[in-house]
Amino acid sequence: MRLLPTLLGGAAAVLLAAGLYAGLVASPPDAFQGDYVRIMYVHVPSAFAAYLAVGTVFVTSILYLWRGRALYDHVAHSATELATLFTALALAGGMIWGKPVWGTWWAWDARLVTTAMLFLIFAAALLVRELAEDRQRGARLAAVVGIIGALDVPLIHYSVVWFRTLHQAPSITRGEIKMAPPMVAALLVNLLAFTLVYLYLLLQRVRLERLEAARSAAAEP
Amino acid sequence: MNAWRRTVALVRKDLLLEWRGRETITTMGGLALLVVLLLGLVLGGEAARAPAILWVALLLAATLGVSRWTQAEVEQQALETLLLYPGSREHLYWGTWAALTLLLMTLLGLLLAALGLLFNIDLWARLPLLLGAGFLGIAGLCAVGTLFAALLVHVRGRELLMPLLLLPVALPVLLGSVRLTEAILSGAPGGGLWLGVLAVFDILFLLVAPVLYAVVMEEA
Repeated sequence: MRLLPTLLGGAAAVLLAAGLYAGLVASPPDAFQGDYVRIMYVHVPSAFAAYLAVGTVFVTSILYLWRGRALYDHVAHSATELATLFTALALAGGMIWGKPVWGTWWAWDARLVTTAMLFLIFAAALLVRELAEDRQRGARLAAVVGIIGALDVPLIHYSVVWFRTLHQAPSITRGEIKMAPPMVAALLVNLLAFTLVYLYLLLQRVRLERLEAARSAAAEP
Repeated sequence: MNAWRRTVALVRKDLLLEWRGRETITTMGGLALLVVLLLGLVLGGEAARAPAILWVALLLAATLGVSRWTQAEVEQQALETLLLYPGSREHLYWGTWAALTLLLMTLLGLLLAALGLLFNIDLWARLPLLLGAGFLGIAGLCAVGTLFAALLVHVRGRELLMPLLLLPVALPVLLGSVRLTEAILSGAPGGGLWLGVLAVFDILFLLVAPVLYAVVMEEA
């Protein structure tokens, strides 16, 4: 059981290093974006990890409400925290990339707005859990918010897309970017690396959660 | 039949309480009118802005009303008594949902009248369409609002958390209702699409929220 986190952490570290090399050294600058394209090798994987976390919250919240096993709640809680972390990283990366490439920190782009909304919803889920009267109730209520939030993701995304595009032409038109093989490789390596980082953090956080639960169970008479 | 009568009794109770005090509708109406006046003043009072201003005002006022609604239940310990009654808790959900929907429809009617005056729009001919579109938006808003109100009963600082939960989740309702209202008022294209968005939101959350409501109301 203790071997798995070590292996996962090691593999994540190696892949992150490989991803850094592939992203900073091996891949060429983009024809349009120049070196700024390298931000994408971090930005896209963090957004991907954020969606993985949202998916995890959705599935484990349903399982927790259905089966009531504490482990599901530990995973859901940990994944909710990671969802806020990775949506924040994706937002930061997107804005840092947007400033030089789009010329503005923030565009009213569907993906940016959806990510910001996700960040707020899952932060609210954490607040509900913390402010609930007791631990068990907090777990159930946070699971409910998690399920509603995850179900809302496609609705929010498409409503923002249609809201922006039906009335005004997109202010920024990005040409079809054809990617060279080294760039695809850099993106894929980083995607895999971030997935492993996500799984590693999730595993460690769940372990911590179990220890905390055991401690508070021991403290109660 | 029994389920139907229980739901109706709950709606009647909620609306009767509201009618006697008229606290919620007064504060909601006041806030909504303030938002309309402030936004109209700072953004300019062109008729084209009216749908966006209407729905932002309604949504903000709704967060106030939805959390106020269950607070009254808790303060007077009505909820505990209601939960003691045997049978399914889903009727409680539908009763609260229907009462909240009626309350917000009343608010919508008042706001439409205010907008017609303040923004100089002729609403009479399109009033049934506007109310119909408004109902689609409000039904979805109340579907999640009723659930969140029940959820926050056992959470500290529930009035503070309600906007944080309700506003981001209800974003599709805001966007859909704004565009649909625009389509009705000015014949802008895309009305059918937004009708679909609102319908999907309504159906999804009116199916899911009652189930989760039962979970929330279960004693942990």
